Amino acid sequence: MNDRHLLKGLFLIAVSLAFGLGSFKYQMGHFERAGPGLFPLLVSSVLFLIGAAIVVRSYFDEKEPMYFNLKNIALILGSLVGFALASLYINMIVGILLLVFLSTVAGTSYSVWRNVKIAAVLIAIAFAFKDGLGLQLPLY
Amino acid sequence: MEIFHNLAFGFEHALTMQNLMFCAIGCVVGTLVGLLPGLGPLATISLLLPLTYSIPTTGALIMLAGIYYGAQYGDSVSAITMKIPHASSIVACIDGYQMTLKGKTGLALFTAGVSSFIGGTVAIVVLAALAPALGEVALMFGPADYAALMMFGFMCVSFVTTGSLLDGLAVCMLGVLLGQIGTDINSGVQRYTLNFASLVDGVGLVSVALGCFGIAEITKNLDEHSERTPFSGKIHLMPTWPEFKRIIPSALRGSAVGSFLGILPGGGPSIAQFAAYALDKKFSKYKDEIGHGAIEGVAGQAAADEAASRTSFIPLMSIGIPENAVMALMMGAFIIKGIQPGPNMIKEHAELFWGLVASMWVGNCFLLILNVPLVRYWLSVFKIPYNVLFPAILFFCCVGTYSVNNSLDDMFITATFGLMGYLMMRLGLEPAPLLLGFILGPMLEENFRRALLLSRGSFSIFVTRPISGTLFGLIALFIAWQVYSFVRDSKKRAAARKAPPPAEVPIPVAPE
Repeated sequence: MNDRHLLKGLFLIAVSLAFGLGSFKYQMGHFERAGPGLFPLLVSSVLFLIGAAIVVRSYFDEKEPMYFNLKNIALILGSLVGFALASLYINMIVGILLLVFLSTVAGTSYSVWRNVKIAAVLIAIAFAFKDGLGLQLPLY
Repeated sequence: MEIFHNLAFGFEHALTMQNLMFCAIGCVVGTLVGLLPGLGPLATISLLLPLTYSIPTTGALIMLAGIYYGAQYGDSVSAITMKIPHASSIVACIDGYQMTLKGKTGLALFTAGVSSFIGGTVAIVVLAALAPALGEVALMFGPADYAALMMFGFMCVSFVTTGSLLDGLAVCMLGVLLGQIGTDINSGVQRYTLNFASLVDGVGLVSVALGCFGIAEITKNLDEHSERTPFSGKIHLMPTWPEFKRIIPSALRGSAVGSFLGILPGGGPSIAQFAAYALDKKFSKYKDEIGHGAIEGVAGQAAADEAASRTSFIPLMSIGIPENAVMALMMGAFIIKGIQPGPNMIKEHAELFWGLVASMWVGNCFLLILNVPLVRYWLSVFKIPYNVLFPAILFFCCVGTYSVNNSLDDMFITATFGLMGYLMMRLGLEPAPLLLGFILGPMLEENFRRALLLSRGSFSIFVTRPISGTLFGLIALFIAWQVYSFVRDSKKRAAARKAPPPAEVPIPVAPE
């Protein structure tokens, strides 16, 4: 089951179904005056066919296991979401600290002192962006 | 001599103090960011796009173009010195890195710089001559023709960037569907917004690009656990006269190949490099040395790379259809600035068009006189360990996303696309065509609906018009050829399976 080609096809089919079935919520119209649902339905049908073709092809191709490292992507996305939430509810300086200290867990080595230095530099850059380039960063 | 008149007009705009400065900043920053591991031109441009928001239109586009060829140059530097190519400089690794092994890094970098300059110069003449003429042709295009051209572009890009038509087309369609999110311009209905206020205007281009290219790329590098050893050799830039003489013919050949291949749909720097390299291998006076660190092996491909990256602006600016993912991103930037690229742009925004063309040559000069001599300082970027670099890149991704709308909600969208980009990468789907589909999706829908409106719902309009009919014919031929070669290959494979397996089978490495 863990075959990259097969999973690829299934992934595409899942996306096409999500968009294709979703398009029925909107008016279809007819070809002369297409409604908002028609074009997405057509495109997702094409995508569905391609996905099905890839699934079929996977039976002929060599099987290849799919590699997926959940830890790293979860850490990176978690630190991004943490940055956004912290900046939204507290301020961006806390967000930067969170981003640096959380994301570096995914690196090859971890050092608190190095993270302090990185965070300090990034905060300085953020102040430069705010005061120099006029970006409206909610720093504090 | 209208070209010279127009170019002179362009230089008037490109050579103002302000625009010179934007061009220089673009080249330098682009080179610097392009050198960073894991950031090719696509990621570099999307990361730096927000910097240009507060700049006047002409300046912003000049700066973006500078970032683009700066990134391209930075990419070739990291390929030559450390054999780390990103998307665009795979060929530079072959002979360029061989020259580094021989201790001729300086010569290789000088060759790449001078050849890029030659390639860029030739391409700008082509661009100035051809773009307005092609713009006239584009005025004859109806909606059906535009729709056909876009689908033809999808097909070519899919095939060229991924090598597999099915995978590439799937990613294009995925991009088109993502482009559907937001308010439908014809009916005002909100599609696929899931009632999120931040999705009413559609998904932001920067979120898609940073998620799929920036964040996914960082995670991929982290998975690989590779720490790079920084380059520490000596760099002696100036060549001897016989060495210099060897650069010229090869660079001119590369310029011609690159200029031509840059214009075709799906074309662009990567394919031009391969073609120029192959050509040099066949026709160069020193063809036996190519592959073992020959000057020609660097010169031809560098010139083609630069030429193609300039001429790929031609379809974007004259027809209004980007031909590859980088140009799609450029088109997004044009639209953010309120400029619709296309046949009318050359007439209505003449100062912008000719200013941009002229600034490309100015950017060439900057690369030659600023970046080539300074290359040894640029290389110190590599001394920063990746463990320090990646939190910083993540931070810039955050700032880039935030500053588009000053909205933190967009961060969640970027994170979602980061997950999607990573998933696609692991599934073996190259994400570059996604960007093309995403940008062209709304245009494709618009033209498709308009064509059917004109024909009263009959699909024959796509076949009976000469332009769209030809394009669809080509598409059909291409699909037939693909099906035929698939059947042939699987028959071969079935035969190979029946035969006893050979002693040593080279394991195919999937391109990431």
